Amino acid sequence: MLRGKLPFIAITASLFITSSANSEEIGALFPLSGPNATYGDIFMSGADLAVRHANEDKMLSDDLSIIYEDSQALPQQGVVAMNKLVNVEAVPYVLSAFTGVSKAISTLAQRSQTVAVNGGGVGPDLAELGEYFWNVIPLANNEVGALVRYAVNDLGHKRFVLVYVDDPLGESIQKELEKSLPPLGAELVDAHSIASSAQQFSGVAARVRSANPDMVYVASYGSQQLQIVKQLRDNGVKAQIASYSAFSVPELQQQEEALGSLFTTQSIDWDSEDPITKRFVDDYNAEHGKNPTSYIANYYNAVRVFALLAQDLEEQGKEITGANLLAQRKATDTFKLVGGEVSFQENGTLLAPIQVLEVDGSGSGKVVFVNTAE
Amino acid sequence: MLFLQLLANGLQVGAIYALTAAGFSLIFGSTKIFHFAHGATFAIAAYLFHFALAGLGMHWTFAVLLAAVSAVVFGILLDRLMYAPIQRHEGSFFTVFVASFGIGIVVQNLLGSVFGRGFMSVATPLSNSVEVIPGIYLSPLNGLAIVSAIICFAALHLFLTRTFVGKGMRALSENPELVRTFGLSPRRLSTYAFALGSLLVVPGAIFTAAGTGINPAVGHHVMLISLAATIVGGIGSLRGAACAGLLIGVAENLAMWKLGTQWSEAITFAILFFFIIFKPSGFFGRQTVS
Repeated sequence: MLRGKLPFIAITASLFITSSANSEEIGALFPLSGPNATYGDIFMSGADLAVRHANEDKMLSDDLSIIYEDSQALPQQGVVAMNKLVNVEAVPYVLSAFTGVSKAISTLAQRSQTVAVNGGGVGPDLAELGEYFWNVIPLANNEVGALVRYAVNDLGHKRFVLVYVDDPLGESIQKELEKSLPPLGAELVDAHSIASSAQQFSGVAARVRSANPDMVYVASYGSQQLQIVKQLRDNGVKAQIASYSAFSVPELQQQEEALGSLFTTQSIDWDSEDPITKRFVDDYNAEHGKNPTSYIANYYNAVRVFALLAQDLEEQGKEITGANLLAQRKATDTFKLVGGEVSFQENGTLLAPIQVLEVDGSGSGKVVFVNTAE
Repeated sequence: MLFLQLLANGLQVGAIYALTAAGFSLIFGSTKIFHFAHGATFAIAAYLFHFALAGLGMHWTFAVLLAAVSAVVFGILLDRLMYAPIQRHEGSFFTVFVASFGIGIVVQNLLGSVFGRGFMSVATPLSNSVEVIPGIYLSPLNGLAIVSAIICFAALHLFLTRTFVGKGMRALSENPELVRTFGLSPRRLSTYAFALGSLLVVPGAIFTAAGTGINPAVGHHVMLISLAATIVGGIGSLRGAACAGLLIGVAENLAMWKLGTQWSEAITFAILFFFIIFKPSGFFGRQTVS
């Protein structure tokens, strides 16, 4: 009788052993499908490398792993996925991306005392989403400020036109331009809002051309920003194009029409001899055959921050929970991350220098200006 | 000058909308099948054109041919392998719609998996605008899109009015039973409608791949415009769908003359609501008696 049940017992036992295998899990809400899925692939490459390094270094007693959920870069999908990560998977730490998604999940993060870390969204509001929401990326106010200072002071541009996607990020960039240009003696002469689903921009290009700007600031992301750049150029807009860190995606860096465009990112010296940065750059290069970008470094850093905090908590014999991670972050002055030693501001946002780059077809851009952290 | 520029842009966009809307309207009018996957046909044609040109290095004529054949084959296969079985089992209008919607999603994801989810465009000097008169920029693609649309509509008109199959397709939309009485096969005519309707998206797909660029979700927008144009033009009216497509394209662009750019897409729905409320039969649709 027992013999007949043996296969069943064996399967049950193996399932039990598998499910109880020790693993420290964190979550990630990335766009894995839809028009912004290209960002998901980029973010994952950085996060996965950090997991590999943490496990190779045995930073934690259990292996670290990431549960990926598809946010499609949409707030609604993001909340559904966050609910699963918090209530079903019970992870203490979630990687987030995109301003809209990050804002949508922040309430749940706060309520469930789950740390949410953004490495991709740059809306300035992201600094004000509660103490459980952290940013390992400089926000748009820092990026826009650095770019306009360079454009006005060094290039002599005075007339700016903004083409922005109608969402919290686009609106925040518009506010930032309206605030930062007048003190420098420049002006935002026109701003064109577009729907996130829009694909036809020949009319927008005509409006932009008629405003005769020195610089066109594009505040969009994903496939849409490439379409905007192509159609602006195809339709006779000759003004310099500029944007924020969303321009650091490989497709745009290789786009012919984007050559000469300016964009901003967190300043990281990829040739640094700092051991953490060097290991990250070397291993990324070995695995992908190309240089990393700041987005990849941001999500590497986001995972590394967790590994460092969790390591400290384990050493103190404390449980790895969102509340303990937050307390430990507050107790830690500096973190050794890719790019050097950095600290979090009181609002949970990393302070980092910003660099202005020019799209030169190399895949990662040419640094033309570095603005120190302030 | 801005008005003229927007009008010129609108005519090009409208020509593309008119062709895709006419394709959808032809299929819907003849077969009464809500072919939501019409947008997927558009995306397939655009991607294969791009792949043939940029990936395989084919001459553009072969790339156009490949796009056309793939669109027609996809349309016929859907009709034969999906819609026909559903209709045989007397599936409801809603069943057909859900099946077609599902195909659209599957195709979008397949294209993303095979060709990547990012933006693609055909690099061609034809999309570069030149200043023809001070303040007015036109690209060769502008003219080509309009000329192609005129040629396609002329050919379609001749086909539907002068050929036996064309007349049969028109009759199918009127009275399928009578078509059968005359010895014609509604099933076969339905396949012809799918082939022709799918073929009509090809010029738009090619001009979109070269002009605005494509991503796997490009079909959704096409479907939205086709649906709006079919209603505005009058359900079952090919001429109406074509005129409505042109109207929507021009209105989308001219809206930016005085209104903000964010109103560009909303204007499609404003036109749609206007017609639903004040002229439910559309441009050339039949009056209905309740």
